[in-house]
Amino acid sequence: MFGRLFWQLIRGNRGRLAVALVAIVGGGAVISAMFNMEIDVRRKLTQEFRSLGANVVLSAHGAGDQALMNESAADGFVNRLGPQGTISSPYLYLVARTRANQPVVLAGTWLDRASAITPWWQIQGEAISARDDVTRCLVGKNVARQFALTPGSEIELRYADKSAHFTVSGIITAGDDEDDQVFTNLAAVQNLSGLVDRIQMIQLRVPGSVVGIQSFASQLNTALPDADARPIRQISETEGSLLSRIQLLMITMALLILVLTGLCVLATMAALAMERRADVGLMKALGGSIGRIVRLFLAEVAVLGALGGVLGYLFGVALTLWAGKRVFGVMISPRLEVLPLTIVLMVGVALAGALPLRLLGKVKPAVILRGE
Amino acid sequence: MSRLVQVEGLTKVYGKVRALDGVTFDVEAGEWIAMMGPSGSGKTTLINILGGLDTPTSGSAVVDGVDVARFDEAGLTRYRAEKVGFVFQQFHLVPYLTAIENVMLAQYFHSTTDENEARLALERVGLGDRLTHVPAQLSGGEQQRVAVARSLINHPKLLLADEPTGNLDEANEQIVINLLTELHIEGHTILMVTHDASIGRLADRRIELAHGRLQQIITISAEN
Amino acid sequence: MFARLVGESFIRSPRRKLLAVAAVTVGMAVATATLSMALDVGDRLAREFRSFGANLLVTPQSDTLPLEIGGVDYRPIDEGSYLKESDLGKLKTIFWRHNIIGFTPFLDVPSRISDGKSVIEVTVIGTWYQHSVAVPDGTAFKTGAAVTHPWWTVQGSWFAEGSNECVIGERLAARLFPAQSAIGQTIELDSAQKIAGSIANARNSPVLLLVTGVLSSGDAEDDAILVPLGIAQAMSGHGGEYRRLFVSALTKPEDSFSQRDPSRMSPVEYDRWYCSPYISSIGRQIQEVLPGTEGRPIRRVAETEGRVLTRVSTLLWLVTLAALAAAALAIAATSAASILERRAEVGLMKALGATNVVVGGIFLAEQVLLAVTGGAAGFLLGTGLSRVLGESVFGIPANLRMSLLPIILALAVFVAVVGSIVPLRRAALLEPAPILRGE
Repeated sequence: MFGRLFWQLIRGNRGRLAVALVAIVGGGAVISAMFNMEIDVRRKLTQEFRSLGANVVLSAHGAGDQALMNESAADGFVNRLGPQGTISSPYLYLVARTRANQPVVLAGTWLDRASAITPWWQIQGEAISARDDVTRCLVGKNVARQFALTPGSEIELRYADKSAHFTVSGIITAGDDEDDQVFTNLAAVQNLSGLVDRIQMIQLRVPGSVVGIQSFASQLNTALPDADARPIRQISETEGSLLSRIQLLMITMALLILVLTGLCVLATMAALAMERRADVGLMKALGGSIGRIVRLFLAEVAVLGALGGVLGYLFGVALTLWAGKRVFGVMISPRLEVLPLTIVLMVGVALAGALPLRLLGKVKPAVILRGE
Repeated sequence: MSRLVQVEGLTKVYGKVRALDGVTFDVEAGEWIAMMGPSGSGKTTLINILGGLDTPTSGSAVVDGVDVARFDEAGLTRYRAEKVGFVFQQFHLVPYLTAIENVMLAQYFHSTTDENEARLALERVGLGDRLTHVPAQLSGGEQQRVAVARSLINHPKLLLADEPTGNLDEANEQIVINLLTELHIEGHTILMVTHDASIGRLADRRIELAHGRLQQIITISAEN
Repeated sequence: MFARLVGESFIRSPRRKLLAVAAVTVGMAVATATLSMALDVGDRLAREFRSFGANLLVTPQSDTLPLEIGGVDYRPIDEGSYLKESDLGKLKTIFWRHNIIGFTPFLDVPSRISDGKSVIEVTVIGTWYQHSVAVPDGTAFKTGAAVTHPWWTVQGSWFAEGSNECVIGERLAARLFPAQSAIGQTIELDSAQKIAGSIANARNSPVLLLVTGVLSSGDAEDDAILVPLGIAQAMSGHGGEYRRLFVSALTKPEDSFSQRDPSRMSPVEYDRWYCSPYISSIGRQIQEVLPGTEGRPIRRVAETEGRVLTRVSTLLWLVTLAALAAAALAIAATSAASILERRAEVGLMKALGATNVVVGGIFLAEQVLLAVTGGAAGFLLGTGLSRVLGESVFGIPANLRMSLLPIILALAVFVAVVGSIVPLRRAALLEPAPILRGE
């Protein structure tokens, strides 16, 4: 009979319960979407902070252009010790001279990695994407101005008794030292200087947490005593507090939305309670105890909450995918762990909002059945 | 015949209003009692107290050996399930349960449900072909008959009816009255509130109230 | 009569109204709080980002090319252009002066120091740590590396202004003082003249400095010696001058408008660009007060700000939208519920001859009144909430935005009315008799 009563109760009040269900589904969708994003927000925003290129620099001991290290050795250690997804780019700098004997810094690196290591470069003209391209170069904007260079110009650079010719492929605007430098592929610079297999530093973009990066840096330091590995501190330190703050904000918002959902359910339940007073009065007149009656209603509400939670999670998945694209431009994968959490929360909200139904327990049968 | 109901000095006060004022009377098992009086006379209050739906301010109402006036909430709940069956003027069937489910509801609150017994009860009142209809699909008379079936399903000691035909047209009224007459013949004890003198004449005795006080008790057979 | 009916209706059974008012109040409080936050987040985050340090670099315009490798400029000291330190106060007079959080000049001087075994080349960097700059309007502005390079940490303490103290980079300190702490030691630097020959105005004698701290910067400065700007100026013979200026400014992220060439904008557009704190327009304003300079955004920093700000801002707006939707739903549900509860009144009024229009009108008027009351209360509550949120998340309480009040009220009324329409229409269809009979 309980089962029958239960289902008939639900069928009999379809409309009202549907409204409550909509509220719960809505609240559940938003909450689960927020939880999905919440978990990922840290990672995604960290990537944003990180997408500023290199976060670890491995440099040869000493200062200036005298300090050199072995390229293949260093590279080997980086590949072995670095976490999955580490991107590295070696650098060799020289002070070269133009045909007019003017000094300019020439940097050799892996230009195919430039977009990962120095993504803030704005290049007017064409970037160089092949690592073995030794005929073209990129020049910083001040260099271009100083020597009146445009994409397509020719430049000759000399070092010691050797010289090399380059065609300017693009002009870099970086707002930093790079505006004053000429960039070409590492091989060209090593050839020009005769410093084969020699570099001064490697810039690394290392994924992972601050702690992970620091441990990688110390491992490198131990493995390469001639070199110095240091995390670039400027950005990574400030991320942490900002991210925590944003997460806190999102949690607060989620709570507020839960409160609103609860209010919605409360309103619906209050109306429902109103409508059920006659039925409750009758059941009490028939000898139904308060406990039994209330249990019936609570079961109904709990099922509503659970169903709303599941549906809410499903809608939340759709919401997460859409929101992820809008906010971060990438897919955020919804997490399965959020499902039970959503269900529990929504059942809780539903039960809290069902308070008016519990107050039905106090109904006096004589009063109700008199028709008041 | 034993005394099923013993009411003594029953009083119910609402603020300044004395709905019942020191009412005393007895009811034997198997009697059909009609309670009559003008509106506001206290007859509904009296039947509600006897039905365990209301509690008196003072006095006693002993039904089948126990004083209803002394019951706490839990006791009243059991009393309503076990000792009495109530038929209301407005039927008060649950609108989204079928006829048979409405009867089973009373079984549910008593102990366990028995669909077979419920079916038999509905057949007894002539609604064997209406088992799966909801109240909206039943006429007033049919609804009230379901209510009667419901009131009897737990074999109560006392059948209480508050203006059972008040919302019915003449034809249905007759059907319900006939049913009550049959039940009386079968030996049920019936307490019925009515304002209709012709219905009141069908009872064994008539208890007349006014302003909450017992005016007179008339034995019908003596009248005829 | 209408007003009376509405008034009476409004005052009656306050407990039932409580739920409806509560829904409006809480809903609008949440709406207010989220809207304030979303509107403010740009400013708040801009301030946060200043902890990244400088985002603008100012250099002499007609400079020769710096020859920087690993943070060391290999140009001869008498080559290239320098800038006047005395001009720096003018930075606090530009249009966006309140957005200039700090600035720090740098002057690099090559020098030599002995590490006990040999003589090594070092760069001496003259700068400000916490310096008071005289602004033309008579006030003083405190700024320095503490603001523009906040990630620099110093063991011990920074040098005092105008003193003969210095701070050594940690890698250099490890080289010079491998066995002990560098703090408290005295170091001796060769003057620039000794290195480069005769330079007018330069000090001839070696420079003695007391080490007060060891710097950890994670960058080239860890191999250098930092000194008060005055000492570097004296050592190099460039009194009152500096070479590079790092500026930390509160900016608005670049968008498609700001990236256009200002010289090609119409006067109206130029004004709009100039009066928006884009980093490019602030850079332009700096160039105007510091003659002979070129200011460029440090793209690495500026890009991050822009990206993060966009992300967080979008996120916040999405959350605001969700909150608004939730609020709307809550309010609509409570309006609907409260009307359905009062079917008996509707039946009664209709039995007395009231038309649907009148009945609807009374209920709607009541809902509007409720919405306005609850909306106003919600606005106050929401403002308080956003202050608390602003404080705990960003450290600064949010501002009171009175301009939101009419929006919130309008929203509340709109939602309450829309939420009432369906139940009112259903109530309009009801027959009075069944209701009065109690069915």
